[in-house]
Amino acid sequence: MDRDIVEKAARIAHLDLTEEELERYEKDLTEILDYFQMLDEIPGEDAIGFNPLIVADVLREDEPRTDIKPDLLLKDMKTYDDYVRGPELS
Amino acid sequence: MKIQDLKTINERYEMFTSCSDATETGCEFVFSAKDNLTSYDFETCAGSRILEGYRPPFDATAISKMREAGGFLAGKTNMDEFGFGTFSANSGFGIPKNPYDLNRSCGGSSGGSACAAAVLEDHVSLGVSTGGSIVCPASFCGVYGIAPTYGRVSRYGLIDYGNSLDKVGVLSAKAEDLAKYLPIISGKDQRDPTSCVQPDFPKEFSKIKSVAVVNEAIEGISKDVKQNFDESVEKIRSMGIDVEFVSMPVLKYAMPAYYILATSEASTNLARYCGMRYGQQDGDLTLKFDDYFTSFRSQYFGDEAKRRILLGTFTRMVGYADRYYNKALRVRQSIISEYKKVFADHDAVMTPTMPFISPRFDEIQAMSSLDIYKADFLTIPPNITGMPHMSVPSGYSDGMPIGLMFTSDHWNEDYLLSMAMEWEKSFDMIKPEVKV
Amino acid sequence: MKIGLEIHVQLPTKSKMFCSCPTEGEDIPNSRVCPTCLGMPGSKPSLNKKALELGLSLAKMLGCSIPEQTWFSRKTYFYPDLCKHFQITQYDTPIGEKGVFRLGDKDIRITRVHLEEDPGKTKRVGDGTALVDYNRSGIPLVEIVTEPDISTPAEARQFLSELLTSIRHTIDLPADGDRSVRCDCNISVGKERCEVKNVTGLKNVENCLKYEVVRQTKILKAGGKIERETRRYDEERKVTLPARKKEFEADYGYIGEPDLGIYNIAEIAKGIKLKETPIAMAGRIQSQYGIDAKMAKQLVSTSTELAALFEEIVASADVKTAVKWCSGPISANWKQYEPSMKDELVCIVSDFFKGGITDTECGIKIKSLMTGVDAEATAKASEDIEALISKLLDENPNVIEDYRKNEKAANRIIGLVMKETGGAYSSSDIVASTKKVIESRL
Repeated sequence: MDRDIVEKAARIAHLDLTEEELERYEKDLTEILDYFQMLDEIPGEDAIGFNPLIVADVLREDEPRTDIKPDLLLKDMKTYDDYVRGPELS
Repeated sequence: MKIQDLKTINERYEMFTSCSDATETGCEFVFSAKDNLTSYDFETCAGSRILEGYRPPFDATAISKMREAGGFLAGKTNMDEFGFGTFSANSGFGIPKNPYDLNRSCGGSSGGSACAAAVLEDHVSLGVSTGGSIVCPASFCGVYGIAPTYGRVSRYGLIDYGNSLDKVGVLSAKAEDLAKYLPIISGKDQRDPTSCVQPDFPKEFSKIKSVAVVNEAIEGISKDVKQNFDESVEKIRSMGIDVEFVSMPVLKYAMPAYYILATSEASTNLARYCGMRYGQQDGDLTLKFDDYFTSFRSQYFGDEAKRRILLGTFTRMVGYADRYYNKALRVRQSIISEYKKVFADHDAVMTPTMPFISPRFDEIQAMSSLDIYKADFLTIPPNITGMPHMSVPSGYSDGMPIGLMFTSDHWNEDYLLSMAMEWEKSFDMIKPEVKV
Repeated sequence: MKIGLEIHVQLPTKSKMFCSCPTEGEDIPNSRVCPTCLGMPGSKPSLNKKALELGLSLAKMLGCSIPEQTWFSRKTYFYPDLCKHFQITQYDTPIGEKGVFRLGDKDIRITRVHLEEDPGKTKRVGDGTALVDYNRSGIPLVEIVTEPDISTPAEARQFLSELLTSIRHTIDLPADGDRSVRCDCNISVGKERCEVKNVTGLKNVENCLKYEVVRQTKILKAGGKIERETRRYDEERKVTLPARKKEFEADYGYIGEPDLGIYNIAEIAKGIKLKETPIAMAGRIQSQYGIDAKMAKQLVSTSTELAALFEEIVASADVKTAVKWCSGPISANWKQYEPSMKDELVCIVSDFFKGGITDTECGIKIKSLMTGVDAEATAKASEDIEALISKLLDENPNVIEDYRKNEKAANRIIGLVMKETGGAYSSSDIVASTKKVIESRL
């Protein structure tokens, strides 16, 4: 994993890394990915599942419900006139 | 019911991130929970500074079930940030200490839970395992710890690390507590769809009649752990259980596949932490949103969190996803198939829990990231496959506990629980000397 | 010129896609939110069955092939309206692929149909910072992606309008103006295409495409090159503008969503019965009952419910009788129709068919039932108006002769009746009665 890729991953992930961090992560991740190369030896199975066992067809009925009052949810957020405040948009 | 002076005990061991100052509970039993399980009465930070100030307005299902059963939540236990670690040394809020030697780790990432279970009297603690985070600290702290089948306990209220891997479980110094409390927190929960496909928890627990010992698991472990394991094999045989040595060569791919899946999922789960809505929020809103988010994430995520975000962002990136993320999904299926073959002939798989006894903090300092990831090679296989697994204390080396791990097939937690109770009858536990 | 559209339509569910928050209510920001749609740490999603069914209905309506299984994926990007900073959407297994929509005598191919959650809504305040309302966060959306088969901006609008009609009919989508549809528009005049993101409503889609045609043509004529880019539409100024160049790279890094599991949708889709579209229904009624195309179309366009009632009356009487009463008094009083009247209407006509009641009695009963005016008053009014028509026919005897040649001759009498009764009767009643009296004299 070269420096460019570490920098790219950091930008995508919204991390601003110091020179020291970049160097360290480049070294660590290179070592880790070198080790992970062993995965190229094994084909793996055709089936892919996103869970380790089958979770299928779990659905919820379309019944509206409010469990927690919105004021309670918003109490620790920065708000203005019921809106949640956020940083400048592009 | 009286509880000990938690605050004073905590000064010595740092097992809690926050704890109650009550002395009388008026409840049937006292429990604690890992700090990645939400509770309305304690701040919940999952060991991360970026979540400082998060007071969830709801209880995790596991916590509310413990309360309903008469439990008093005494505190939230310390952990590696978001579960990212093997030694609980990656917490934003101090490092919990091993009750047998304060210069050593209590394991991770549910380190605070294992420490509390070892130190406090009559105490049960809820832990969470993604890649071994219950059995590892259980073995280092000499207690019993069980991580159930993926989906057995609702993850509602669990702050996500890897959604396809996370499991809520139980740690205690008493085997019977595992058998008592795991069924209590188990069950279908509409708020977590992955919990809704489980069969009922069996009322009668089946007993293990045959175990498989994995040859590959007893290579590359320390001498004292190996010696203890050999003794355990003999002890299991003396209990009238068949022991067969099997080879599971695919298991060596579990570690890389696990770290790819876990960090891929984690890097999406951690995207939400950005200085808005919860946790740290004091920032300059006139910054452009990209810069605003970046500043919080760079300042408040710890070192290992950043490393895993980078790794996980990379492994699912366009051009690399097929080689890493998608490949890891396929490899997981191969490992599951390998286990299923073994479980056709055996009730459980037995290995040591950790390849060594708890290391000193200076030894941990000297380990590379890869060395630390490799230390999980025994605990990762049952975790990546979502299989229930348990660590029982099996002996001591230089006064430090050693753990023995059993893994059973999906939904067969009862085999493990009956084993724990059977094991306890003939095991002489040496309790740590608790100084306050 | 090639135009392709990515169309987003909110699905009409009562609760959100992955949580139970209501989708409708008071207009107060952040009043319909919960831990899940606020992305709070510890929350989990759970799929709304109705949203999946509605999406599958649309995939079926568009003739898509539906895979055995589907699942959801995480699309990760950072924006203040997206709480989790990943959107739960579909990536590798959309609920429908390779469909087609018939537009006049042309086929518009449908690339894919998938489900996803809507983000919240942002607005800017004076200092440029954002105010966010998460009421929209988690509202279920269906995204329909077309191939670049559309040839002009006007055709794009026509397509959208007909597509929306079909969608409304299929899933009972309320017709709350055309703003409810949001489109990403891909357009290429030459070789390279541009994408205009997030255009709201039919009119804006047409206008933004028209603007792009002019802009791209100008560049090409001047020998320039179209730059492949993402643009946005300024509704006020009616122009498209380049979207701000991203300082941060976007790499959505899709992964599967493990919190939800998989869905065996082929099985679910089998159980979904699509409502017949009005066009298909008219065609079927015409051929099935041997009535003329105009009559079939008239029944269906009045209401598909009227056409359904027609079919029931046919079953208990015959086609001729059903046409007579459905196109006559039932259709004349259709505005007052309530579904609860259906059985009785069928009964009345069936009674007439069996000879239990006379022609006049049947007409009175129908009218009385539908308008709520009691039968005696209806009969009296009907007698009165028929007496008046008879009187006028006596005074204008040549109308009968003219009517034999051209039915429009009845209009003279109709005009006179209207004048004399001054709005006491509905025009449809007057027309029906006039025709009835004239025909009795033929």
